[in-house]
Amino acid sequence: MNRAEFHPSDEQLLREIDGEISQHDRRIVAQHLEECWRCRARRQELQNAIGGFVRAYQEEFDSALPPGAGPRALLKAKLAECAASEPPAGIRRLFAARTVLAATAACALLAAALGARYMARLAHRYSRVPQAVILIPDARLTPGATLLVNRPAVCAEPDTNNKAVPAAVRQKVFEEYGIRGADPRAYEVDYLVTPALGGADDIHNLWPHSYAATVWNARVKDALEERLRNMVCGGSLDLGEAQREIASNWIAAYQKYFHTEQPLGAVR
Amino acid sequence: MLSRVADSIALPAKTRSPGAGKGHGKLEHEVTGLFDQYREPLLRYLWSSGLPVSDGEEILQDVFLSLFRHLAGGKSLDNTRGWLFRVARNLALKRRYRLRRESFAAADSDLTVDPAPDPEVCAAHSQAQRRLMSVVDALPEQDRQCLFLRADGLRYREIAEVLDMSLGAVSLSLSRSLARIGRSTERSGL
Repeated sequence: MNRAEFHPSDEQLLREIDGEISQHDRRIVAQHLEECWRCRARRQELQNAIGGFVRAYQEEFDSALPPGAGPRALLKAKLAECAASEPPAGIRRLFAARTVLAATAACALLAAALGARYMARLAHRYSRVPQAVILIPDARLTPGATLLVNRPAVCAEPDTNNKAVPAAVRQKVFEEYGIRGADPRAYEVDYLVTPALGGADDIHNLWPHSYAATVWNARVKDALEERLRNMVCGGSLDLGEAQREIASNWIAAYQKYFHTEQPLGAVR
Repeated sequence: MLSRVADSIALPAKTRSPGAGKGHGKLEHEVTGLFDQYREPLLRYLWSSGLPVSDGEEILQDVFLSLFRHLAGGKSLDNTRGWLFRVARNLALKRRYRLRRESFAAADSDLTVDPAPDPEVCAAHSQAQRRLMSVVDALPEQDRQCLFLRADGLRYREIAEVLDMSLGAVSLSLSRSLARIGRSTERSGL
């Protein structure tokens, strides 16, 4: 190679910058750059282009990046449910292939049932499957609904058990969630924002919470509701904020206000 | 003559499934840790490819559940990062989104998050960035994908794996794109 005539291409310079070049070639390029101002300037131009692009790429997205706590909590809940429905690998090898497929299918169904946007459609597709496990309501079907009441009015009401949901309304909720073929006794049609926190008696505030949920079950949500009501009535939490948090992701709210990743005294 | 690519490059450590009898607790912890580590770059990649953030979040849930099932099945991963990006990309494509970005101009107000003291400087800066990203928008789809993946830290071999390209095609694509971006930044003084 005649080094006097050799000038690395943009591609070769970039590979040298990125460390995607062999030691031998790196030495050749480095030696040339010491000698050649033109190539050194070209290398710097490539570096500048990288810097400009990375800044624009990151800044553009950073403003749109939502907090990760909610998605993280949702993933943890899904993983916990998956783990509960699927035995560890070592044990699973003992099962017949059909059993393995069934466990995988159950896991896939769970993922489908928990997806926010496609939940209703997928649940309808799998409506013949007896018990889809639902931990988080579909935000489109159950965005939550509240009454126009303030904190004193909420706290003046006794914290009694929620009013029973009429059978016709329960049936309507099941239909909306595409679980008509399921055993209704497998679900509690629950208020997303509990009436004890100003939640409305409205179908947009009702969802089918699975009793089959082994970790994030209705009893855990009841504990959260009690905690939030005590905080609201004790003056340490704004009523609107409590309503928003429980409506957006009650699992994340539980983890926040109980300072724990898993439910306290979880019944598995 | 220089060889086309290096023979060996550093890749992220392998992810191994927990051994038999260890249960899923450790695996859940491991997958959640990977979610913390890769959520932002994966979400940024999907978003840059034209998906709304909310849809990207949904895809990521599926990606990490797939990872969990993959590892729970006793399988290991040679390259976790490459696997995650490849699965995310495949799931995004399955949703049949057209991989296009919304007009960069629509996000104008969101670009001034960097607290520059002088509004004129700030406006000129974001204008230059818009110009730069408009150059990126005009690149062929594969070139844009290479850029996004490289900006999110993937090595050439990983990019080649995700996009099903040769290593040489990756380096050529990146250098071609950066040359175009370089001409843009020279003009705008970015």
